[in-house]
Amino acid sequence: MLAVIGKRLAMAVPSLFGVSIVIFLLLNVLPGDPLAGLLAPDATPADRAALAKQLGLDAPLPVQYVTWLTKLAHGDLGQSFSRQRPVAELVGTAFTNTLVLALAAAALGLTIGMTMGIIAALRTGSPVDQLISILSMMGLSVPSYWLAVLLIIIFSATLRWLPSAGMHGINGGTIDFLKHLIMPAIATSAVTVGMVAKTTRASLIETFGHDFVLTLRAKGLSGWRVLEHVVKNAAPPIMTMAGLQVGYLLGGSVLVETIFSWPGLGQLIFQSIQSRDLRVTQAAVLVIAVTFVLTNLAVDILQTLVNPQLRRAG
Amino acid sequence: MQDTIPLTLVPSRESEAVVAPHSYYDEVWQRFRQDRTAVVSLGVLVLIVVCAAAAPLLTSHDPLQGDIAHRLLSIGTAGHILGTDEQGRDMLARLLYGARLSLLAGIVPVFLATIIGTAIGTVSGYAGRVIGAVLMRIMDVCYAFPAILLAIAMVASLGAGVANSILALSIVFIPPIARVAESATRQIVVQEYIEAARVSGASTFLVIVDQLLPNVFSPIFVYASGLVGLSIVAASGLSYLGLGAAPPTPEWGAMLNSLQASIYVQPVVVALPGFFIFVTSVAFNVLSNTLRDALDVKGTTRN
Repeated sequence: MLAVIGKRLAMAVPSLFGVSIVIFLLLNVLPGDPLAGLLAPDATPADRAALAKQLGLDAPLPVQYVTWLTKLAHGDLGQSFSRQRPVAELVGTAFTNTLVLALAAAALGLTIGMTMGIIAALRTGSPVDQLISILSMMGLSVPSYWLAVLLIIIFSATLRWLPSAGMHGINGGTIDFLKHLIMPAIATSAVTVGMVAKTTRASLIETFGHDFVLTLRAKGLSGWRVLEHVVKNAAPPIMTMAGLQVGYLLGGSVLVETIFSWPGLGQLIFQSIQSRDLRVTQAAVLVIAVTFVLTNLAVDILQTLVNPQLRRAG
Repeated sequence: MQDTIPLTLVPSRESEAVVAPHSYYDEVWQRFRQDRTAVVSLGVLVLIVVCAAAAPLLTSHDPLQGDIAHRLLSIGTAGHILGTDEQGRDMLARLLYGARLSLLAGIVPVFLATIIGTAIGTVSGYAGRVIGAVLMRIMDVCYAFPAILLAIAMVASLGAGVANSILALSIVFIPPIARVAESATRQIVVQEYIEAARVSGASTFLVIVDQLLPNVFSPIFVYASGLVGLSIVAASGLSYLGLGAAPPTPEWGAMLNSLQASIYVQPVVVALPGFFIFVTSVAFNVLSNTLRDALDVKGTTRN
């Protein structure tokens, strides 16, 4: 089992290197002038060259990459051009806020999604099952930004129950914090609800079709005990999907965070793109990608620990 | 997951085809027709496409020309059946003309990615060990990013605009399609008819185009059709962020953005462009689901 886990850990390393190269290339090689936002409109070519030298942008690309990676390894993400603060600090604060939103959305999405999936699987073909299928299809199709706008229309503009923006952290009191949290959490969790409900239903129905269920029933086990066994066997694909969804949610939603002015990674990326603050964009995208890789890694390892069939599959 | 053991007693698809009086695609259409939701979805999509194409015939209003005196009229106003936007432009006209760009920016990336992804996937699956492994590992790196984020980052460095939005989404969709194509190819490559074609002297190119592609088409097509809904939502999302279509061009995502400030004045009108994105996305997803069942393709779920 350790060998399987070790192998999976080793596989994550090239993945992370790949990520760093993609992000570096994405924001350094593609057209778009990294100095555009930094130079005065009347800057001479000499000013330009001086600034490029000062920022190390005149070195060959592989050298720039190694320099960037070395600094990264020391936790040095540089200074934000437009905000004049360390990038690590900006990204760190934003990550905490995204984490809170992601956990709330994950809790909401996984609970509702699994409940819907289980009910649908137990009542296959019934009107309830059909309703749940329609709801999960709507959940995974709805544009999160439109759902966000709808929620604001209903709960802020019409009913005036919830604030549409202006999260101040936990300092404003727990109730105030939750009021700010609920709408962005619902808007980001819609896709999760849809995907998890669909996967749970499909996996449970498939497992119910296996011979061992018949055997358990023939042995005289109660409905609940049979369900217990079925759930255990149906778990792996549901866990994979849940892990994937948590990974997505941890990436923050640029759209939803921007709409609700939620000060997370998504909003930070949007703002840094607008102010052409490439270092911040780069760092925030990097943090999201690394989190995504690590979440998937954690899910895989958890799967290996839980599922005996996978332990031998090394 | 357990593999099902093939039973020799169960007739294979080939023998069914011999007995059945209809072609394979007739059967697919028969199965598709039985799903009422899917037929309705297909109808809705055809309606949207026809209305978008026939926009000038359906409305006499100019989608770009507004009348400031008639800003933010509500739905049902005489002359402006769906109201007007924040600049007094007719909403129906803007939604109809906007459908063109919204559909284009959503469908073209999937189309391009399908062609390129299929090429990469079939070559990796066919070429086997070294080339295949290298190509697929490169594709895998893209899986480390949430797709939409990768598209946003790409458009951010390429610069805003519809062309760049289409380019970025195409690139984002290539890896998953390549993966589906590769795994389908690896299942087909071991079949006897491929071996037979090779032994009888067919070139690699001919084997891929003539024998392989027709057989990997279904799973790729079903998977790609499942991406269209997502792609339309993403393309409009990019426009909503100001990274795609730019005002005053009518496009659903960009319209939602410019209308958002009027949320307290005319909420129903503000919700309209998003409603159209939603309906189109649901219709494509329902269609793709039914196609999967009708074509009897397994294991191509979208993640």
